[in-house]
Amino acid sequence: MARRDKNPDGTPSGDARYERPGAAEGVPSGDSGISRRAFFGGAVASAAAGAAIGVTTTGLAAQASEGAQSASSAPADDTYAFYGEHQAGIRTPPQDHLVFMVFDVTTTSASELQVMLAKWSAAIAQYTQGLAVGAVEPARELAVPGDTGEAAGMGANQLTVTVGFAPSMFDGRFGWAKYKPAVLNDLPAFASDALTAEFTGGDICVQACASDPQVAYHAIRNLARMARTTASTRWTVQGFGRASRSADQATPRNLMGFKDGTRNIVTDDDFAQQVWVGADSDQPWMTGGSYLVARKIHMLIETWDTDYIGDQHAVFGRTKMEGAPLSGTAEFDTPDFAVKGADGTPVIPATSHVALAAHENNGGTKILRRGYNFTDGIDSVGRLDAGLMFISYQRDPAQFVAIQQKLGSMDRLNEYIRHVGSGVFAVPPGLAAAGDYYGKALFA
Amino acid sequence: MTRHPTPLRRGSKYAVITGIALGSMLLAGCAGTASTGASSGSTSSAAGSAPVSNGAAQVKVTLSGNDCAMDFASAPAGPVTFEITNSDAAGLSEVELMSDKRILGERENIVAGLKASSFTVTLTGGTYQLNCPGATTENTDFTVIGDATSAPSDVQSLLAEGTVGYGQYVEGQAASLVDAVAALDTAIQAGDVDAAKSAYAAARPFYERIEPVAESFADLDPEVDARVADVDPGTEWTGFHPIEKDIFDTGTITDSTKALSTKLVTDIAQLQTLTTGLTYKPEELANGASGLLEEVQSSKITGEEEAYSHIDLVDFVANVEGSEQAFEYLKPALTTIDPDLTASISAQFASVDALLATYKDAAAPGGYKLYDEALRTSDAPKLTQAIQALQAPLAQISEKVATA
Repeated sequence: MARRDKNPDGTPSGDARYERPGAAEGVPSGDSGISRRAFFGGAVASAAAGAAIGVTTTGLAAQASEGAQSASSAPADDTYAFYGEHQAGIRTPPQDHLVFMVFDVTTTSASELQVMLAKWSAAIAQYTQGLAVGAVEPARELAVPGDTGEAAGMGANQLTVTVGFAPSMFDGRFGWAKYKPAVLNDLPAFASDALTAEFTGGDICVQACASDPQVAYHAIRNLARMARTTASTRWTVQGFGRASRSADQATPRNLMGFKDGTRNIVTDDDFAQQVWVGADSDQPWMTGGSYLVARKIHMLIETWDTDYIGDQHAVFGRTKMEGAPLSGTAEFDTPDFAVKGADGTPVIPATSHVALAAHENNGGTKILRRGYNFTDGIDSVGRLDAGLMFISYQRDPAQFVAIQQKLGSMDRLNEYIRHVGSGVFAVPPGLAAAGDYYGKALFA
Repeated sequence: MTRHPTPLRRGSKYAVITGIALGSMLLAGCAGTASTGASSGSTSSAAGSAPVSNGAAQVKVTLSGNDCAMDFASAPAGPVTFEITNSDAAGLSEVELMSDKRILGERENIVAGLKASSFTVTLTGGTYQLNCPGATTENTDFTVIGDATSAPSDVQSLLAEGTVGYGQYVEGQAASLVDAVAALDTAIQAGDVDAAKSAYAAARPFYERIEPVAESFADLDPEVDARVADVDPGTEWTGFHPIEKDIFDTGTITDSTKALSTKLVTDIAQLQTLTTGLTYKPEELANGASGLLEEVQSSKITGEEEAYSHIDLVDFVANVEGSEQAFEYLKPALTTIDPDLTASISAQFASVDALLATYKDAAAPGGYKLYDEALRTSDAPKLTQAIQALQAPLAQISEKVATA
């Protein structure tokens, strides 16, 4: 992900912001003979816990300071409008960072869920404009801070937060059964699936994207905190580089080193026909919404890295540097699946990724891809745990299903990838104005 | 548990009392600096006094944009109902009525798009402040006209009763701990490993229930409850856990075990002396209740606390019981201050209690399943989520009882 130009000058060190309090806070006061420590706090335990947290968030903080340095390319106070016909974070040009979190709703009370969604809606309206909810440093000594503070002073950084409901939300727990869209069902099993329980399922997804990872994480963390008594965290993926493009963006690369998103949906017509749910939906509350498919795709990077370039080209059906279809010479050349080589077989192999996924070979079906590269360290058998957090938007999950059924059974790429996580969510339309909230129509 | 033992300085009753006094001064000092002086606000309030209906003066509070406005800034003495509507204020969700620094009544979770919410307080003559955290003007004066005699606050007396009750609870636990440690000592001096195992499991809960109080004696706690990793090199490891190691891990009682046990009896006797007659402030109960749940998350769910006996769930249950007791003593007052929050916490305690009940095992030491690696792997996330859902609302009560 070397897309960012780091500013060599004026590199503000973010370190001071992330300093943890020293362990000294639990020490009783010197020679006064007072041996009873201040009762409130449990200071020793919390200092130790703080140190542990400090270790685990180091990576995030380091990335955040990189974000601060690249402020020239994406001003920290850039904002996207929150209210509108569609939720932001779908057609929005993909920002550089993602935090994707799936929650299980733990409350069985529809009214508690309603309050949670209304609070989330109001909070997201604030966060996306670079504002906090509640004080970072309340005036009263014993008040618990309303906002956790790690994004204070950082600006909105193009933050968008997008919310979706899984099929399980319509199982009758909250009186939503009658509002279940006919097309919203758990995804079928696909050939070559390797799904794990720890990255699959859940009730509500929240996709936070921003040009700074800490701003995105702050939003998710505070929403999780707000929901503590009503929803619990089920799975999450942090994406560190966009792997898709909008109309005016250069095509980024996935971790296999290939350009991703060359043929992504960009036109108004395609959005209308392929992405946004129209007024003809069986559930009017979904008009203007979309369906999100999430797939955590582990890449077998080490073996991929030993594959020879000719085979890598054949797997994708494109060249690596330029990203041209093997039938052409430039990235945006339209692939020609009919062109045959000297041996009489298609120049773009029929089992290549581009051939199987192309709309020409899928009855015109397209999906909006909005994925992110991720890494989760080292996996349990010693491999780099990295890949693509695939996210797509479509007006009907069947669009994804049809393409994935082909890819799952035939794609040559399957030798190098494993789908380990999965989810499908109904993403309601955008909120009209303050006072509107996610799912409002479903509590009628 | 204590991760960083401090050098031992024997505490005394005198020192304890000084410590409490300092705590009070600290609190008063901070409240003083956190000035929330009434501002000139109330721009959109009508002149005149709020109309009375249903036996209470009716004041409408509207949250809109970044503003918090009342339709009347004054009312006659007696019951006053504040009805709060959030029309479109994304950043505002809370309103409280304050007298000086004390919260008399409040509502939270008043979110745009949801129904109006109200609270009723009985006010005597004087000037109050309507506080809307996050609003452009956070504090607006509210004037009550009429009888200025101030009746003693029910909330204050309920809180006072609660702290006295909690003090008695702590003394009761300390007394039981003395007896339980004596039984443990009898088994150890007799060299009876099996009897020592059950006596150990029987004694631990009494300490764990009052752990925040015990931990506040920063010199004594490491002597009693340090784990091996907590001990500085060159410092002797004493208390429950080296005894635990001998009887559960090594399985032998040596002269060293017996000496440890003798010292534990002495230390626990001192703990009883130190806790007898202690008085508490309401926020100490609240912070203690929350602190116990912090203990659960930082050392019990991880299985670090009882590394040899694996009776972590026994400690876990005792921490939760201690937390619930502290909350129960505050509950009569809290119910008046914030009934919604109180109900929410009660419900979360009930669900944690129900979850913990599923781990009961009469055959295991201490009456709960051994928290071995398999159980930890399968159940720790579930236990974490349940405790976090309880601690989130519980952490809010300290401020409320301190300012009530």
